Amino acid sequence: MTRMLVVEDDTITAQELRAALEDHGFEVDHAQDGKAGLLKAAAGGYDAIILDRMLPGELDGLGVLSTLRAVGVEVPVLIVSALSAVDERVRGLKAGGDDYLVKPVEFVELTARVEALLRRRTAPTRVSRLQVGDLELDLITHRVTRAGRALDLLPREYELLEYLMRQAGQVVTRTMLFEQVWKYHYPESSNVIDVHISKLRRKIDPEGASPMIQTIRGAGYILNAAS
Amino acid sequence: MRLRELPRTTSFRLALFFLLLFGGASVTLFGVLYVQMQGFLVARTDEWLLRERVDLSRFSPEELRTRLQARALVDPSLERAMAIFDPAGRRLDGTALPAPATIPAWDTPFDFAVALNGKREQYRGIARRLETGDTLLIAQGLHETDEFNEALVRAMLIGGILTVVLGLGGAVFVGVGAVRRLDAVTLAIRKIVAGDLSNRLPTRGTSDDVDRLVHVVNGMLEEIDRLMREVKGVCDNIAHDLRTPLTRLLGGLERVRRHDPPKEAYGLAVDDAITETKGILKTFAALLRISEVEDGARRSGFVSVDLAAIVQDAVDFYEPLADEKQLALSLSGQPVSLPLMGDASLLFEAVGNLLDNAIKFTPPGGHVRVELFVSAAGRGVSVADDGPGIPPAEREAVLRRFYRTEKSRSTPGSGLGLSLVAGIAGLHGMALTLADNDPGCRITLAKMPDA
Repeated sequence: MTRMLVVEDDTITAQELRAALEDHGFEVDHAQDGKAGLLKAAAGGYDAIILDRMLPGELDGLGVLSTLRAVGVEVPVLIVSALSAVDERVRGLKAGGDDYLVKPVEFVELTARVEALLRRRTAPTRVSRLQVGDLELDLITHRVTRAGRALDLLPREYELLEYLMRQAGQVVTRTMLFEQVWKYHYPESSNVIDVHISKLRRKIDPEGASPMIQTIRGAGYILNAAS
Repeated sequence: MRLRELPRTTSFRLALFFLLLFGGASVTLFGVLYVQMQGFLVARTDEWLLRERVDLSRFSPEELRTRLQARALVDPSLERAMAIFDPAGRRLDGTALPAPATIPAWDTPFDFAVALNGKREQYRGIARRLETGDTLLIAQGLHETDEFNEALVRAMLIGGILTVVLGLGGAVFVGVGAVRRLDAVTLAIRKIVAGDLSNRLPTRGTSDDVDRLVHVVNGMLEEIDRLMREVKGVCDNIAHDLRTPLTRLLGGLERVRRHDPPKEAYGLAVDDAITETKGILKTFAALLRISEVEDGARRSGFVSVDLAAIVQDAVDFYEPLADEKQLALSLSGQPVSLPLMGDASLLFEAVGNLLDNAIKFTPPGGHVRVELFVSAAGRGVSVADDGPGIPPAEREAVLRRFYRTEKSRSTPGSGLGLSLVAGIAGLHGMALTLADNDPGCRITLAKMPDA
């Protein structure tokens, strides 16, 4: 079973995080402050850590993180913070964080990002092609085929599809797509991503077939092999 | 104006300080002058004394007495005296000058005083012992020198008194002016503190240092006034805009509580409540974001970014949306790159908001034109559409939080987009201008040269 460590000082937030992660099927452990968090994390046995950026006492989130990285603990860390400024984000990632979420955290967003982190760790690093059902994407030639038929994709569409395929079978939120493909970081709230996805759908799904990219209401998208 | 406040004013003290400084300098100058002058006069007297002594030494005692007799006849004044005294101090020949009480040294000039007509007169003289045992005395009266000295000291005194009177008068004048001015400013500030935010500090229109300070403070008051009004407006708007969704939320929850519907209907009601709450949270997030952008803390994370590339990205991002609405979205402009210090995500967000608005309000078949420009007047980007436009009367207002034009009320939106764009523009030192596009609206984000 996948084990999570939540380092969060606020009891109610910790309970909510814990509930969301447990509902998702993870086993969750909790630490109240930076010191306890560091000790538990260093002891090992976790698949990912949800780390609050601001913790009471002498050891805050970034301190815990840089110490962990310094002693060679490479477990994926998702930083959760009330600080949304871009340089905060950059600092968090520089200290060794793998992803950065701004409070209040939407739980779909949290679990989707945790799944993405877990997958990134287990995915083979050197692959030259991705395959989901009869959809194939060549990472070297950038050629995409559906059941052997070549698809004509624009560069952004290719990037969108590549990310969805890397996360195949997992929920991917709009924000994750926006951050990964367009590389800008702000709470994008328009429905433009939806329009991009429906354009992409029209290109990859043959006439009459059920779409490979499904919309998960209130969450995002999931790419599954065509049934 | 209270006189006892005067000594406490900076300008009065400054004037006094300069008076002291100037006075000190003058006294030193006069002192040096006095000493130098004195030395010069003594040196001149000594020179004459020595010269005469040498001149007279050429003569034999008899010749000398004859000369002195002749001299006494020609020049009987006691100003420049020459006389011969016997060892008892009796005058033998020459000018009618009494012998000095003592002679401190031979052949060296010395000062002495004698009683003449009942007055003590100062002399400087030189004495020489003659072969006969008599004493030759050559002396110069110091009367003239003393008079000169007195005149000098008098001039010094008058000058000093004049300086002190003028200086004090000036200090009082300057001090009184400063106190009056400060009183006026203090009065104005008291009024402002008491709540009259429209009041401004008085200026003289002389653009002196105090005036410049007053101008800065007035500018600050202007900004505070504007912010206060804005905050009030924002509070009103928040209250107004959040009441509607909260009322809907409450209504829905109460309804479901009253009716006690079957389980599926419960679920739907909860979903509705969640949607409503998310909407409210979204509004709050947008508000927080605007204040975060406006507080300027982000500037610390500024790096060199390329506005042209960001605009290109934003246009690419919104193109499918424009396609879907059958709008022609185009990007034009010469600059291939438009480097500036900034935050790429914020700039993308700003341009994205402008595009979003343009696409939202332009009817199908319309055009949205994005243009990058670099000119002497500045560099930046403009987004123009041929939609309904913004009436001139509402152009100021649309930048306010929650403001929505009459025409836009039927379109979904928070009324926060343009406030955010304005905030981002401000953070980047860019000017946001709204103009007519005949038809439609043109919004320009421009960075002035070296601004």
